[in-house]
Amino acid sequence: MQSSISPKNHENALLWFIKLLAGGLIFGLLVVHFIVNHLIAPGGLLTFNDVVQYFQNPFVLIMEGCFLTTVLVHALLGLRSIALDLNPSPKIIWYLNRGLVLFGSLAFVYGIWLLIKVSSMG
Amino acid sequence: MKSTPSSKNFYQWFDPRGRSISSWGFIINRITALGLSLYFILHLIMLGQLTQGQQAYDGFIALVKNPIFAVGELLVIAAGVLHGINGVRIGLTSFGIGVRYQVMMLIFGAVISAGIIIFFGFRMFGGV
Repeated sequence: MQSSISPKNHENALLWFIKLLAGGLIFGLLVVHFIVNHLIAPGGLLTFNDVVQYFQNPFVLIMEGCFLTTVLVHALLGLRSIALDLNPSPKIIWYLNRGLVLFGSLAFVYGIWLLIKVSSMG
Repeated sequence: MKSTPSSKNFYQWFDPRGRSISSWGFIINRITALGLSLYFILHLIMLGQLTQGQQAYDGFIALVKNPIFAVGELLVIAAGVLHGINGVRIGLTSFGIGVRYQVMMLIFGAVISAGIIIFFGFRMFGGV
């Protein structure tokens, strides 16, 4: 007997494509993030001064901002896909969509504020 | 079995019987996605320590150098690698690329993932 679990859900094609595109971008950005933060850094972790210095670079700020945005988009659309697998009622989907948009917006604002705050600490 | 998604299907995720290899790939992607989403939230909160100054940040770094946290970090790396490499396979097959070879791609991806996870494991625990 084969499993009935299948990737099919009610996600529309545009959201699915955005999730896929964001996933592809994350793959590239994550390689850079991993190399800088965990392979080059002694002991695998940057010191406070290293982090602040790292964020002084405008290119790094833009890259990390893009990384935050793509991870948020991919993660929240992915969580929505998982929730849709459980076949929720339209009312739950309504709350779910708004909850994810609200959470994503707050996390985005917090993340960008954090980037700007840390970059201005040097 | 019906193919319509339902809450009953959630429990079937944990039933290993009669499952195809592609289905395992799908389940691994879902489980790693949940773990990585949780880590992402914790990571954002942790980075907030930076705004509280050097002392708060250094105190936190000292805490995460604990071996228990190191094991947790390795799990995050494992989840990221599995999700990423398996995600590439899903992306390719979604566009009709290599559909005939998707089982081979899944096995190849699992071998590559295992190699990367072992590399990081040795690096983090002093082997490299």
